[in-house]
Parts: sequence; C-alpha cells; structure tokens
Amino acid sequence: MAVIAAYNLTKQFKNFTAVDSINFEIDDSECFGFLGPNGAGKTTTMKMVYCISPRTLGSLTIYGMDPQTDASKIKSIIGVVPQDDNLDPELTVEENLIVYARFFGLSRKQYRARIDELTSFMELEKKLKSRIKELSGGMKRRLVLVRALLNNPRILILDEPTTGLDPQVRHLIWEKLRELKTSGVTMLLTTHYMEEASQLCDRLVIMDQGKILLMGNPHDLVEQHIPKHVVEFSLNGSCLNMGTIREKYDCMIETYGSRCYIYSNSDSVLANICKNAKIQHKIIRNATFEDLFLKLTGRGLNE
Amino acid sequence: MSAITAPGILRRISSIWLRHQKCYCKHLLANGFPPFVEPLLFLAAIGIGLGRHIDSVEGIKYSHFVASGLLASTAMFTATFELTYGTYIRMEFEKVYDAILSTPVGLTDAFVGEILWAGSKGVFFSTAVLLTISLFGMVYSPLCLIAPLVGGLTGIVYGALGLIVTSYVKDINNFNFYVTGCCTPMFFLSGIFIPIRELPVFLQKLSYWVPLTHSVSLIRGLILGKVSMAHAGNLVWLLICIPIVVFIAVARIRKRLIA
Ligand SMILES: Nc1ncnc2c1ncn2[C@@H]1O[C@H](COP(=O)(O)OP(=O)(O)OP(=O)(O)O)[C@@H](O)[C@H]1O
Ligand SMILES: [Mg+2]
Repeated sequence: MAVIAAYNLTKQFKNFTAVDSINFEIDDSECFGFLGPNGAGKTTTMKMVYCISPRTLGSLTIYGMDPQTDASKIKSIIGVVPQDDNLDPELTVEENLIVYARFFGLSRKQYRARIDELTSFMELEKKLKSRIKELSGGMKRRLVLVRALLNNPRILILDEPTTGLDPQVRHLIWEKLRELKTSGVTMLLTTHYMEEASQLCDRLVIMDQGKILLMGNPHDLVEQHIPKHVVEFSLNGSCLNMGTIREKYDCMIETYGSRCYIYSNSDSVLANICKNAKIQHKIIRNATFEDLFLKLTGRGLNE
Repeated sequence: MSAITAPGILRRISSIWLRHQKCYCKHLLANGFPPFVEPLLFLAAIGIGLGRHIDSVEGIKYSHFVASGLLASTAMFTATFELTYGTYIRMEFEKVYDAILSTPVGLTDAFVGEILWAGSKGVFFSTAVLLTISLFGMVYSPLCLIAPLVGGLTGIVYGALGLIVTSYVKDINNFNFYVTGCCTPMFFLSGIFIPIRELPVFLQKLSYWVPLTHSVSLIRGLILGKVSMAHAGNLVWLLICIPIVVFIAVARIRKRLIA
C-alpha cells in the first residue's frame, strides 16, 4: 500500500491554480522528488501533505488518513524541513528543540535523549546554548533538520533542504539523509539541484505550472527521454544552417539565445558535425538529468 | 506498524502556553518590572495632584478608589499588547506559527493556548498591582485574593479582542488605531477614574458594553469587600462574553492564516 497517495489533487488560490490535478503514489521508505521551476507548485503540494494547506479538489491520503479529518495524527508522524527556516528567534538552539518537542507531546525524558542523539548526529552539539541569530545558514539548516527528526518521523518532508549551502554542508546533509533512508524513513524532497535529485531520489516527478510532466527513476528517465550525448557551443560568429544539420545527421537540436545544444545517441555523429561545421570552443559530454529537465521545462525563464 | 497517536488537546494547548512562558521568562526582570511600578506612578500622581481636589468617591479615598481599578486595566493592556503587536510579530516576522502548525498542534489549539497565555499574563499583572497597592493599605478584604482571577478573565477577553483586530491588520502600525482609538477610551469609560453613575446617560449605556467596566466593578467589589448581586451580574457578563470573543477570534485568525 502506498504511504502517500494523491489523485487529481488540486489547489487553487482565488482563481489561480497552483497545483493542477496531479496524481502520485509514494511507497514506504522511498525517496520521492518534486522538481520544477520556481512557482511550479512543489511547496504547495508539500503543504497539502503536511496538512497546513487544505486541498481544493481531489483526494489525498497519508497512511490511509485524510488531512481534512486526521491532521493531528498525520502531523505527529511527519517531520518538516520547510523552504524558509522558521526557527524561533527568541529562543536558543536548545530551547527551540525543547519547545518544538513539546508540540509533539514528548516527555522531558524522551526529548532530552532525542536532542542529545540528534544534535550529535547533525554535529551541532556544541551550539546548544547559542542564539539563533548567531548561527550560520548551514547550521540553521542542520538545526531545522534536527527539529524535523525530534518526533522520529516516518515521513520526512524536505523542501529545498540544501539551497544556499556550501558543498561541504550539502554533502554532509546528503550523507545523513541516506542514513535516514536506510533506516526506513519515507522522504519527499524538492530541490533545484539536479545532482541532489539524481543522488537521492528513487523516483521523482518534474512539475511545471502545477502539472506533472514526467514521473520515474531519474536515471531511467534520462535514458528514455533524451539522447546519450550532447555537444554544447556558442552560435556567436558562426553561420550554421541548422536545417541542413538536422537533415543530414541523426540528431536533435535545441537553441537558447546564442547557446546551441545538439543531442545524439552516438558521439561519433557529434564529432562529425563539429568537424564538418568547423565548430570550435565546444563541449562534448554525456547528456544529464539537467538537460532533460531543461528540455521539458524550457531553457528560458518561466515567469 | 504501531498505532498512530497524537498528543491530547490539553497537552497541545499547554505546549503553546509553555512556549510563551519560556520566551517571557527569558527577560523576567524587564518584563516583570512594569506592573509593579506603573501603579506606583499612577497613585503618586493622584495622591500628589488630583487627590487634593477630590476628597472621596463613593465613601472611600479617591486614590483607593482608583487603585482597585488599576488591577483590571493592567490586565487589559498587557493582554492587548501581547495579542496585537506580539502576535503580529510572531506571525509575520518570526513565522512562529508556520513552525507550530506543522506539528500536531492545530490552529485552534495554538490560538486557544495563546489566549490563555494572555489570560495568565492578566493574572500575573493584576497580582503585581495587588501586591503594590496592598503595601499602601489600599486593600480592605481578604476577598482581594480572588481579584487576580478576574484579571485573568479580563486578559482572556482582551486577548481575544486583540486577536480579532490582528486578523484584519495588514501593517503593524495600524494597531495604534485600536490601542489609542479603542482601548484608551475604554480605560476612561470603565469606571476606574470616574464612577459610572456620574457619567452622562449615553456614556453610562455605552460603558455597559465595555468588558473592562465589568472587570473593574467586580475587582473593586472584591478589594473593598463589598460584594453584591450586581457583581454576580458582572461575572456572568464576562463569562458569556468569553466564549463568544474566543470563537470569533479563532475563526478570524484561521481565515487569515490558512490559504
Ligand atoms: N498563499 C498563496 N496565495 C496565492 N498564491 C500562492 C500562495 N502560495 C503560493 N502561491 C502561488 O502558487 C504558485 C506555486 O507556488 P509554490 O510555492 O508551490 O511554488 P514552488 O514550486 O515551491 O516554487 P519555488 O521553487 O520558487 O519554491 C506560485 O505561482 C505562487 O505564487
Ligand atoms: Mg517552493
């Protein structure tokens, strides 16, 4: 049975549709990603799952429970890392955790043990007495993650957990998330880092303008939906005729501004194109998940 | 899979209360200072100034008459500030409720807890005033020990009213309209300084609809040790008012917070 199931899930604000009739089922212990450009509706979807935003239409169940009737129970097994840190600035690190643990009804004995365990897990044990404004962005993010784990959640919601963090902290967080995943926690992850998505997600959806465009395992999706190789170069100063290239070679061409991308399943085809068309300053590389993402959602700004 | 249980409603509400108590007690000295000192200033001003011109009101010294009323007004003001400016800052700047609402605590729990916290501050502040005025021999009856509880009811009513205002306010400066435009007039209409029956008739009628009037009357009765049926009426008035304003406050704030 799916841990989280959504059918025709829809969210409207006034007359604007932020999430437009989406369907997904998330299995136990799975890491499920939501990707999409800004404003795609990822955060809105997550908020419906953790019961702070009521859905407009469709159905949504978490362990068979409906957020409209069982919000308290559902929230007691969910841990949330929201997109924007919302730590209590009036309290210290430790007080933040104590206060939050009490919201889950944890006893003093329970939360003391959890706080010790989790702050050392996230390498924050030295910061317990610090004030929130004394923490760096990376520490705050780790603290929010500690807070989200206080109740031993079965479902962890991670809304851009590593945005704005340096590579060290990002790798630390990834490692911790992998550990949590092995321990059986189901995860919902949104991110703008394609690498993060391919590293962590078993399955993901790509959303745009409230709709799901594609769903599947990130590596399979790249294989299925995009040629293996790509050559990337600048069109500035060259007078290529794309039409002829497209006719002559087995390839797929995309341009964005002065940037040109030619995709093909064979790298020798790409090498030939470059040789014959005298393309210089080029990069030939394997096509990545990011290329697929951009192909689907467009390389221009969506706003 | 073990059965899923959420904490009970009392636990959820008390967790909110404890959050506020924790924040408040971090600056206990600074936060606790005003209710002890403010009545001193008021009474000094009256004792030195007005008191020389007004001898006695309703058979007691004017400063004693005013002192008892200050227990109620201090509860009103502290609850008002807590659930207008305080709540607005927590809601808009600190995003405290976003965090709270992603735990088993629901919106009703959170704001009932918040209003009860305002009530508790009412108890605490009126106790502080009671201690201060008792040092000056302005307390006449052991019944005064019940008076802080009325301060608590006052805190609950004005906390809820403040929350209703907060649910409409789009900019923090607009609270000035409510505090200066509504609370200050209520302060003067409530019978703290001028006995109600000496007001013009239409103001007497208006003052009946001011919750503070009933608190002042009740607290004064307790402190002076003169309790009558009229005071039972005051208590009933407050007890009827509370569920109504709390219900409206929670419904309004839900409308604002849940999109
Ligand atoms: N409370 C709200 N009222 C009105 N519109 C809203 C509200 N919350 C979100 N929206 C709109 O819904 C759309 C989806 O927003 P959402 O926050 O879900 O996007 P997102 O995919 O998380 O984007 P980002 O990557 O920028 O975080 C946006 O156009 C946003 O303006
Ligand atoms: Mg978002």
